Amino acid sequence: MLRVSEKLAGKVCVALVAVLLLSCAYCQVPASEVSAISRALQSQDFSQALALLHPALQKFPADARLWAMQGTAYAGEGHKQDALTSFSTALKISPDYLPALQGAAQIEFDDANPAAIPILERLLRLRPVDPTGHAMLAVLQYQQGNCKDAVPHFEKAGALFDSRASALHAYATCLVKQKKFEQASKVFQRAVALYPDDRRERQLLAAIQLMAHQPREALATLQPTQDNPDAESLELTATAYEDSRETPQAVATLRRAILLDPRNLNLYLDFANISSAHDSFQVGVDVVSDGIAQLPQAAPLYLARGVLYVQLAQYDKAEADFESAHNLDPRQSLSSAAQGLLAAQKDDLDRALSTVQAKLAAKPKDALLLYLQADFLLQKGAEPGTPEFQLALRSARQAVALQPTLGGARTVLAKLYLQAGNYADAVEQCRKALAHDPKDQTALYHLIQGLRKSGKQEEIPDLLKSLAALRKEAAREQSQRYQYKVVEDETQSQ
Amino acid sequence: MPLTRRSFVQLSIGSMLSTSAGRLLAQGVSPHKAQSMARPPASGRPFNAHFVDIASAAGLRAPVIYGGVENKKYILESTGCGCAFFDYDNDGWIDIFLLCGTRLGGDPPEATNRLYKNNRDGTFTDVTEKSGLGAVGWASGVCVGDYNNDGFEDLFCTYFGQNRLYRNNGDGTFTDVTKAVGLWNDQPRWGAGCSFVDYNRDGHLDLFVSNYVRFSFEHAPVPGENSNCNWKGVPVECGPRGLPTGRHSLYRNNGDGTFTDVSQQAGIAKATESYGMTVVAADFDEDGWPDIFVACDSTPSLLFMNNHDGTFREEGVVRGVSLSDDGMEQAGMGVGVGDYDLDGHLDLFKTHFAEDANGLYHNDGKGNFDDVTRAARIGVETRYICWGAGIVDLDNDGHPDIFMVTGNVYPEVERKLPQYPNKTPRAVFRNLGNRIFEELGQEAGPAVTEPHCSRGCAFGDFDNDGDVDILIVNLNEPPSLLRNDLKGKQNWIKVKLEGVKSNRSAIGARVLVRYGGKVQSQAMLSQSSFYSSNDPRLHFGLGAAGSADIEVYWPNGFHEKLKGIPANQLVTVREGAGIVPSRGWASKK
Repeated sequence: MLRVSEKLAGKVCVALVAVLLLSCAYCQVPASEVSAISRALQSQDFSQALALLHPALQKFPADARLWAMQGTAYAGEGHKQDALTSFSTALKISPDYLPALQGAAQIEFDDANPAAIPILERLLRLRPVDPTGHAMLAVLQYQQGNCKDAVPHFEKAGALFDSRASALHAYATCLVKQKKFEQASKVFQRAVALYPDDRRERQLLAAIQLMAHQPREALATLQPTQDNPDAESLELTATAYEDSRETPQAVATLRRAILLDPRNLNLYLDFANISSAHDSFQVGVDVVSDGIAQLPQAAPLYLARGVLYVQLAQYDKAEADFESAHNLDPRQSLSSAAQGLLAAQKDDLDRALSTVQAKLAAKPKDALLLYLQADFLLQKGAEPGTPEFQLALRSARQAVALQPTLGGARTVLAKLYLQAGNYADAVEQCRKALAHDPKDQTALYHLIQGLRKSGKQEEIPDLLKSLAALRKEAAREQSQRYQYKVVEDETQSQ
Repeated sequence: MPLTRRSFVQLSIGSMLSTSAGRLLAQGVSPHKAQSMARPPASGRPFNAHFVDIASAAGLRAPVIYGGVENKKYILESTGCGCAFFDYDNDGWIDIFLLCGTRLGGDPPEATNRLYKNNRDGTFTDVTEKSGLGAVGWASGVCVGDYNNDGFEDLFCTYFGQNRLYRNNGDGTFTDVTKAVGLWNDQPRWGAGCSFVDYNRDGHLDLFVSNYVRFSFEHAPVPGENSNCNWKGVPVECGPRGLPTGRHSLYRNNGDGTFTDVSQQAGIAKATESYGMTVVAADFDEDGWPDIFVACDSTPSLLFMNNHDGTFREEGVVRGVSLSDDGMEQAGMGVGVGDYDLDGHLDLFKTHFAEDANGLYHNDGKGNFDDVTRAARIGVETRYICWGAGIVDLDNDGHPDIFMVTGNVYPEVERKLPQYPNKTPRAVFRNLGNRIFEELGQEAGPAVTEPHCSRGCAFGDFDNDGDVDILIVNLNEPPSLLRNDLKGKQNWIKVKLEGVKSNRSAIGARVLVRYGGKVQSQAMLSQSSFYSSNDPRLHFGLGAAGSADIEVYWPNGFHEKLKGIPANQLVTVREGAGIVPSRGWASKK
């Protein structure tokens, strides 16, 4: 946080006093009296300043400068509330009085009070080039969770944060939330520059670089950790190798990580992921089974192994694993969903639906289960006007309301709207799904159909081009995903 | 800082589970997967069509050679070929033309295309040698049309290598005129689907040819070589993904017996990224000009809309007939054209790979399609790789049904994965009359459930008994000839068209038949199903209706109406002259 230290408070005070001495439209006090108060403030003799201010304010109660000086003195004494009252009085007399704005903003900021936000905004309207004001506003907006508003102020704060890792973290977090991964990576590099030997900083930077699809850069970031690696660094390194299409190195690195930290759940999940991506399901099952031996209570491992069993068409084993995952962590949605999906995979949509509905009875507000209920009903051929269709529509709407980022649910909802002839709502859902995932081919296709059916042709040519590009990219990615096969105890390229 | 990688891993697991994630296995064909729908209880309604395979008894005993029997090294060996029901000698009885492939190790003696003359008694005589149609090679598709308007149907056959145009000499013989008419390719190509079509309405049949992949033995990868050469983890032939796409061609008929390649100027050449297969040409938007639909494998299917000026615009995706209803590529192979819901418009049915649903697309009459696969309950069947298909009224109840043939492309897979056999049954979807279909098995006769590795099929009435029979190409086996032993007393009418100003074959004509309060549309096609050509006599089941009104939209724009035509007859309509005497029916034994 940009919390002002005591030393810094003194500097701020001196700076404020300097400003206070400047001319003021609402100032009535003779210069001699002001001069004495200023000297007291500058020498940080706040009790003397207050003693001089009380009679002066009785004589000149409409003098904004005196109120601001009193606020500064109270702040110096540590009487924040009195200080704030004084600054507020000054601002009532002179709303744009800079010293009062600065003083009030500082006190509210120190308390992480969002009340500082409008004060800082007013201050920045008066002084747009104020890195400190931007910095304070950025941090406050971040604290309020308003990354969209925070980011422009982080940008305008410039180098002010270069020595503050926590602020750089906040800035990078906001950028990640906004999916500006490349920018986030650049910001976080400034944090790593502050602490180049800090392993954690490097891991976080590497994680951001992976999100920015910069696996080579992530490998470079992690390089200094490789002499004496920990499991987390190795895990990230493995991901970077995989993203660089160096699967053999990825698998070897993951195996090292597992040896180093055999009770690290995440490592087995990563292995399951890579095995699945490379059509190497049995190896995945074997390694995840090792993980289960180490961590017999880890629900995600049963879930992951169940998924791998599905790919091997070993449905009984998959079902047993999904059941174990559900029993170990009944609150977890995925295992419940997996049970339904398993039935769907076996082309038994009735059972898939009944499984999901049974789970929904216990968890009626589970977005994932609601989405699947809608999807299964749709796949079963629910037609507009039927109770099944209405249930699908309600479920999809609820899923989207509960979890707006659940792209699949939006896609199902859009499809239901298309079937019902409600093209405007279909288009809206598609746009939202695409805002979340611009690579969502289904949403894009439904958007094209929705626009065509509602007679809105203008956008369609560009959307068709985007769809063609997405298809091409998907085919390319699919081909590359399967370039390697993971085998037991070694890796080889096929 | 809330940056953990766990959420990403979980998301990944989630996507593995996602219903829309598709198949997770690498393969050379589109990985689109559709969950099979639950089968509703049987309707219990009797089905009067009953199919019996009489091929052997009818004299169709020669196998259709096509690639390896136990293994296929190249995709060239597995796509197979089509067949035609056509009346080459104008005797009013439908004859049979069967394409054939060969083998990598050399041409077996029985490997040749074959022409069988209809003996008018339920049997056929092999007249290949006399006809001049014998040829060995990797044949793909056949399309039929009278390109020189001399009154005899000609044949165009596509091949890996050189396509062939056979001019019908009218005396039971054919002449290969490919070079002479300007259809010779300087470089070998893999011709796939084809269709005669009078795209510029000058009365002369032009020719559209789809090309599948650019293939050469020298450069083709072999099973297991890369990610496109595996299926379910089993090394198999590679492709089509990973192989260069074909280029499609449009040849304009110059009216003097020659053709000119107009692919560039017509806008066809712009479509460069598709693995084209079956081609159908019909007026889908009912503007009087023929459009062209190309089923494409593992790439978006193509719908070329006619601009009326000699050019086309490709609009398959936006018109809803290129991709699955979730916007994904499918392995489009065969195409049926018909009016399943009796609204007077031409709908499309497209066959796909196993574990995906075949697609039924409803046409709004303006060439805009909606995928109604699930609503129509076609989605109950996803087990088989499906090829030739038709929207045809099998039981003459007045509601067009759907028939398709199936067969694997990887014969080696069944040895490791018995759940994916090489030979699989046919599929019949009977139309229940409420836009919903019901899949039938044994109820439609023993020939429906017999497993074969089939490809093309053609629909027609070879025995002139007023129903639809089916000719089927089976790879490395003799063909099947499914005789329809229809029970009951449902009525029917057949319409044969003879163009005068329009092309003689009347290809591109649209016929509306009104009966019993219903209206059904059919199109005169040069190719449909899979690489095949149907009996040119359009067959309409009429149910209980004793008569029908017929409207013909001729290719050149002439619109003709015929009122109150009695049922149970073949009606031959000559453009501008109305009904003229039919050939064949009177001479039925």
